[in-house]
Amino acid sequence: MSDEIIVPLGKYIAAEILKQSDRVLNVDEPLISSGLIDSFHLMDLALFVEDTFGVPIDDAELNAQTFDSLAQLATLIESRR
Amino acid sequence: MTLIHILVFVGIAAFLGLVTSDRWRVPFLLAVSALAVYVLQPTLPIRFLDFWLPTATLTLAILGWVVTSPPGQRSWRENGPAAAILGGTVLALGLTRYLGLSLPLTASRPPQLVSVLALLASLSGALLLLGRTSRSGKGLLVAASFFVLALFVVLKVPALAAWASAGLRSLTRQSTELASALDLRWLGFSYIAFRLLHTFRDRQSGRLPAVSLGEYVVYVVFFPALTAGPIDRIERFISDLRRPLALTTDDRAESGKRLLVGLFKKFAVADTLALIALNNVNALQVRSAGWTWILLYAYAFQIFYDFSGYTDIAIGIAGLLGIRLPENFKAPYMRPNLTQFWNNWHMTLTQWFRAYFFNPVTRALRTGQHPLPIPVIILFTQLMTMVLIGLWHGVTWNFVLWGIWHGLGLFVHNRWSDRTKVRFAALRPGWQRCLNVGGTLLTFHYVALGWVFFALSDPGASWQVFLKLVGVS
Repeated sequence: MSDEIIVPLGKYIAAEILKQSDRVLNVDEPLISSGLIDSFHLMDLALFVEDTFGVPIDDAELNAQTFDSLAQLATLIESRR
Repeated sequence: MTLIHILVFVGIAAFLGLVTSDRWRVPFLLAVSALAVYVLQPTLPIRFLDFWLPTATLTLAILGWVVTSPPGQRSWRENGPAAAILGGTVLALGLTRYLGLSLPLTASRPPQLVSVLALLASLSGALLLLGRTSRSGKGLLVAASFFVLALFVVLKVPALAAWASAGLRSLTRQSTELASALDLRWLGFSYIAFRLLHTFRDRQSGRLPAVSLGEYVVYVVFFPALTAGPIDRIERFISDLRRPLALTTDDRAESGKRLLVGLFKKFAVADTLALIALNNVNALQVRSAGWTWILLYAYAFQIFYDFSGYTDIAIGIAGLLGIRLPENFKAPYMRPNLTQFWNNWHMTLTQWFRAYFFNPVTRALRTGQHPLPIPVIILFTQLMTMVLIGLWHGVTWNFVLWGIWHGLGLFVHNRWSDRTKVRFAALRPGWQRCLNVGGTLLTFHYVALGWVFFALSDPGASWQVFLKLVGVS
């Protein structure tokens, strides 16, 4: 799992979704099941991933079963690159 | 599902889980699930409809497989046995008409054998022709989706259902004056329709795994989840179905425990609360605000224990067969805000709506050439999603109002959370705990007040209950 994916993802979620730029997210911290990211911001995250890393995320994949942490999302992105 | 149905299903599931080899797992589950479609169908006043509707369920499931499977995977050799099991089940049930006994397998006496044979022959011919000629293209999937949605609308809109009932009554030469929307109570259709639509959409996006006819039909009509869900995703269900069945004693004990919890929730707690839960009759009888609140609290807990009890029962029975159905409820009344309530109440239904309505509409509005302001998009998508979830329960004004109530609640929470999340995150843990307790109480009462629309049949009656709750009426 590369920092090249994890770092910008973590910074984007902290600054744009949680509005706490200083917050450092743990790679295994639950993001969706914990309610940290709601369904509307999940779409923001999907659009960010598609624009930044060039990998598609289907609308049906935006749920905690597909990815729930930075680590799981980074693995998903890597597998599609 | 009655207690007797549940106990019989538990016995069958425990037996199949113990003795079935992996090779015979799908055929046995297919036969039992197909039979359950008929056994659970309630009796209907239109002649033989309680036989034809379960037959239509199986036909829709086969049709769903035909339109979603690539032509190369429709080999008779692989799928013929499943087709024979389904046809054989319908035929065997049709033959029970001549046994001279009243078997609890069909709601009423099946139609004459010649009618069953004629229907089976014409359905087989039509499905074989479709299977040979169709290429499972986008057009066919869209047409199939519209067909299922049209059926859904006819069944859910009382006026259309009554009109369809009159049409069926004239076909069977019964009095059309007695036609009613209740004549078309199609067991499990709401869940079956959403499973079918999920596979149609995933086939279009190329995410649907290759499945055999038997696997597909078992997914659509899996007997533990037939009447009250949950709405599983096919790729998850199939992965369990294909995994070698190796249940340990601990697995069985866990399923048994889940089952007992479900039975207690449904038959002890929910059915007792139902005696005093808010309904159209007792809403008129009570006069004081205090008693009205008691009726409302009873309803809020009754609907939770009833529905989550059924889910526990479904998960427990499925567990005995080695299938781990998804959770539908995770302590929803203990959540500190409405967004989290909806992440934990009827989760498989809300996930379905997110995947196939909320997310695509939000994406379209966010990425369009002239994007709307964010609050407008949030208001529109939340309202539309919640109104559609309301309409899924039934096309009435009260379900629309219930949807609007929750859509507005979610919008207000979203805006509030956006403005306050930074400030609240900086609070000491003690203050955050206080906020969570306050939020949980507020959320529970907001949801409970929303149940007033859900429990009663019309806006006038709901308004009267709101007045009583505040001591005005």
